[in-house]
Amino acid sequence: MKGAKRYAIDRRTLLKITGAAGATTGLGAIAGCLDDPDAGDDEDPDEITITLSQFPDTIDPLDHITGDYFDVYDHIYEPLFDFEPGEGIFARVVEDWEILEGEGATELQLRDDVVFHNGDDLTAEDIAWTIERTVDPDMGVVSDIGSFGLGSIEGAEALDDTTLEVQYAAAPGLAEFEFGNYARALNMEWAIENHDAENEAISGADPEDFNGTGPYEVVDFTSGEEIVLERFDDYWGDEPPFERVTFNADGESSGRVASLETAETDLTINILPEDVTTVEEADDIEIREVTSFRNIFCPMKNTVEPFDSEEFRQAMNYAVDNEEIVSSVLNGYGEARGQPVAPGINGFNDEIEPYEQDLGTAESLVEESGYGGAEIELTVPQGRYLNDAEVGETVADQIDQLDNVSCDANIVDFGVVSDANSAGVDPDTIEIPFYLIGWGTITGDTDYGVQGFFTIPDNPARTFDDEELSDAILESQEIEDPDERRAQLEEVNQLAHEKAPFLFLHTQESIYGVREDIQWDPREDETVYIWEMET
Amino acid sequence: MISERVKSNLKQTFSESLLPKLGLLLLVSIVFMAIFAPLLATHDPTRTGHYDEQGAEYPPLGHEYTTQTPHEGDIVEITVEPTTEHVLGTNNVGQDVYSRFLYGARVSLLVGILGTSMALAIGVPVGLVAGYYGGRVDDGLMRIADTMLAFPALVLALALIGVFGESPVMVPDPIVMAGLADGMPESIPIPGTVTIVVALVTWVWFARVARGEALSIRNEEYVKAARSFGTSNKTILLKHVLPNSLTPIIVLATIQVAVIILLEASLAYLGFSGTTLSWGYEIERGQDVLRTRPWVSMFPGIGIVLAVISVNLLGDWFRDALDPNIEGEGR
Amino acid sequence: MTMGKFLVRRILQGVFVIWGVITIMFGLRAVSPGDPATLMLGEGATQELIEHVREQEGLNEPIYVQYFDYLQGMVIGDFGYSWRSNRQVEAMVIERVPATLELAIAATIVAIVIAIPLGVISATRRNEPSDYGATLFSLLGISTPNFWLGLMLILLLGVWAGLFPTGRRPVGFAEAVTTLVQHGSVYDLGIWLKYITLPAITLGTYFTALITRLTRSGMVDELGKPYVTASKAKGLPSVLVRYKHVLRNTMIPIITVLGLQMGTLMGGAVITETVFNWPGLGLRLIDALDARDWPLMQGIVVFIAIAFVSINIVVDALYSYLNPQVREE
Repeated sequence: MKGAKRYAIDRRTLLKITGAAGATTGLGAIAGCLDDPDAGDDEDPDEITITLSQFPDTIDPLDHITGDYFDVYDHIYEPLFDFEPGEGIFARVVEDWEILEGEGATELQLRDDVVFHNGDDLTAEDIAWTIERTVDPDMGVVSDIGSFGLGSIEGAEALDDTTLEVQYAAAPGLAEFEFGNYARALNMEWAIENHDAENEAISGADPEDFNGTGPYEVVDFTSGEEIVLERFDDYWGDEPPFERVTFNADGESSGRVASLETAETDLTINILPEDVTTVEEADDIEIREVTSFRNIFCPMKNTVEPFDSEEFRQAMNYAVDNEEIVSSVLNGYGEARGQPVAPGINGFNDEIEPYEQDLGTAESLVEESGYGGAEIELTVPQGRYLNDAEVGETVADQIDQLDNVSCDANIVDFGVVSDANSAGVDPDTIEIPFYLIGWGTITGDTDYGVQGFFTIPDNPARTFDDEELSDAILESQEIEDPDERRAQLEEVNQLAHEKAPFLFLHTQESIYGVREDIQWDPREDETVYIWEMET
Repeated sequence: MISERVKSNLKQTFSESLLPKLGLLLLVSIVFMAIFAPLLATHDPTRTGHYDEQGAEYPPLGHEYTTQTPHEGDIVEITVEPTTEHVLGTNNVGQDVYSRFLYGARVSLLVGILGTSMALAIGVPVGLVAGYYGGRVDDGLMRIADTMLAFPALVLALALIGVFGESPVMVPDPIVMAGLADGMPESIPIPGTVTIVVALVTWVWFARVARGEALSIRNEEYVKAARSFGTSNKTILLKHVLPNSLTPIIVLATIQVAVIILLEASLAYLGFSGTTLSWGYEIERGQDVLRTRPWVSMFPGIGIVLAVISVNLLGDWFRDALDPNIEGEGR
Repeated sequence: MTMGKFLVRRILQGVFVIWGVITIMFGLRAVSPGDPATLMLGEGATQELIEHVREQEGLNEPIYVQYFDYLQGMVIGDFGYSWRSNRQVEAMVIERVPATLELAIAATIVAIVIAIPLGVISATRRNEPSDYGATLFSLLGISTPNFWLGLMLILLLGVWAGLFPTGRRPVGFAEAVTTLVQHGSVYDLGIWLKYITLPAITLGTYFTALITRLTRSGMVDELGKPYVTASKAKGLPSVLVRYKHVLRNTMIPIITVLGLQMGTLMGGAVITETVFNWPGLGLRLIDALDARDWPLMQGIVVFIAIAFVSINIVVDALYSYLNPQVREE
């Protein structure tokens, strides 16, 4: 069985065995005789190359809310707070902050020694403007993330040079998760002068088109290919570990692994379970992994048949063996899950167990639902999540094994799934009611993981229409006491488990390939911060 | 029409060279594989599974009805190397590569033949009309054809699939319906949009050839004579022009089947197939594990090469024997 | 018809074709599912923001107004802004042209350098082993899907033999030449060559095979013509005859077919660039498709169409110059 894909039910055993078996295969061995120029560069301890799976497609630091994108831009436009997954937010550019009780606002106190890469001082007005820009489309330099990214945040106002007030429409506990994650600083005057007025956007392709306060500044930029950063000499904080940082991207996992093996890159993300052994067997590089905040699940839109039946949706959950999918299709790189969010998220309910596969229960639930004999199709993206197409086919196959339901998998481009997810719940326009998608609850709060899917008011892109669940979430947004709010969110998760708006699958692990001598622990929120590394 | 001379030419070319024989043999084998796939397959091609070290199957993932389930610490494989149980190994979801190879031949050939027929049905009338009437009609139709040529085939295909979706059409399998092959899928999906798309991007070649033929035939004495007897244009087109342009069209059609098989494979490779039961898709799937499990994408690729070679050999045979003057081919 | 008139006619036809391509692209975009504003903004955008964007993009105008705006933009070379990156489409297209051009030219060079000698050998030694070898090679070449060929080359020459890198383009040709001129170092040129080799072979194989076939059959035809027989009888050295006259006459149809095959070359480039992560127009097109970035998609397709039409006009002009009776048709 040389070279064959192996896994064991217990991953430790797996790693031991594959390590031993792998030594005899030699298939993964790559001749390292390329005298590559990049390889030469890498001997310089002050440089690092990071290969992502997607290259940022815009230069606006406030255009996205999640993704590989922040791995690059957070080094240039640093976050205002340090966010520690599972712990909360800590001082960074914002030194201190105080909730103004009952006013729906928080006062932020900034450091006074922060400068932009072009030499301007950072002022409270810059930040207030940056926040306003993302919530007010009439500002001129509109940001695409709009108000769904900033959640309940309504605006901000500078009080003096280093003090500003952030206003929001929800409980401070929730708002803190939001501004703690999203707040960045753009240089207001510079942005207004440099933005493309006709296009109402911040865009460009030159190094000078970037101007943040982060520890690195841009020295070279090739759109879609490469961005090179160097230490910013006037940075207010600690000197970051590498003088020069290069980011590039490769959409194929095998390509990323090849770059890592040939030392063209020092760190790469989203390694497929199949490639793990290859990396482990190679010299000087290793695998690092962490359970992420990203859950994988299959929404079922309950305004169309047969998904309008709670019994049917539960039956789908009972039909699938999550543990088995994790241990086999994902080679153990995941955890079975029975609720919308991952452990470590505020409001995660640790009493909820994943649905256990029980075909008998599933079949009788289908009978109860009155949809015996239903024919359904699961739409699955390819190349977006860890072995997504394979997971989807296995799920469809397991549902298909029920005597009274037949199910096919339809593998599509991610764009199709993304469209389906935002198409809303109008039964007349729904084309794809059942699809596989993943969601990273990057704010660390359950609200971000459930609000977009389940709340009804002002949310045409919801995937589930249920007053009770929607009300429970809306209620949680108003609760000021953190403990009470957490209890309510746990209740929301419990309710979601029972109502089964999703076919719950698993929380996936983030798998990184890293040069051995770089000390760095991967983060649950999928971001890579160079300032957290050491050599 | 197929004349005696044509027949004897075909025979002569066939006996002179080894290549047409090889092509025919290959094509017959592939068609045989495609038709009898359910009988020849060793496993349901859509069934996922996992296996022990010898490649013997554990129960399907997570099905509790059987008692034998993997135990803690057992070595379980999804992608196994070629073994006696799985002669070409299994792919990344534990499906039998050999069985998928057979079924892939069905999809490739069906799309190839259906797509070519559609392209022929669009291209030949357009070309004949343009060539026969000439003038403005010709100008207009040929500019449309030029526009299609200026559109890279792949781009048009990707755009149309973006608009119309993939619309797989489920075709019931007569062999399974007749109860001859238990446990095989009852129907196989043919990618609907892809078939139409490949026809839309390749009809131009038929139009060009048909036009050329019509242009030369319309000035033949017997056509002129027919016209002077008052025979309607429609009759002349159907009775005289069409039959006399058949030879080059048949040759082109053969080549186009090969071209379309390749086009379908490319689209499937880019993830626009609408069915997972396709050689091109299988290669894409194997790309993830290319370095460690090369057989997943190696065998479907060989399938495409063999199918296309066989059709091309046949095309060469026709071309050599019938000697029509066709320039190039679309792809 | 004079050459000038002929050219004017061909250019007018070319303009019509490009207009057709622009119109088809506009039509496809108009019937495509999904509200453009929603596509631009992504999932979860507010109604207010969507309305703002619709207004800004002119999406609230009647369809014919949108069409004429679009056409007008195209005429003055304004291809609009990418929905994803907000950059000008022209800039995004132009910056990717060198990579694709390098690849296409390298592939064509590979094809011509291998194919013409192969075709000549094949034609002059009919039914000998070298003819069979060349025939088999060209048969395999036109029958192998290039993405699979690319993967197999990566596996064999990249991963197993370790001879070539498996993707990316760390340095462009222009940059490599600059290094050569400024520092007298061929280092960058070597790197460029190393990275472009596998993609060029992948893209070039089909054309190598095609040109081999065309050269062979063209040569066979020409060799049977009276002037060759006559010149042989006159005692002219056969090598001279073969190469000078026969090859020149054979080249005319080859050039025409290559012109027509430009579309195929572009399609092949899309796939090859995807396989090798080669940052050209094709890869950008695939990215645009994935993101449903219509302005970018349109820009790339229209640009390709213009290139295609221009090349074909040049080819036609060349052809009619060599073969004056064509103009009369």
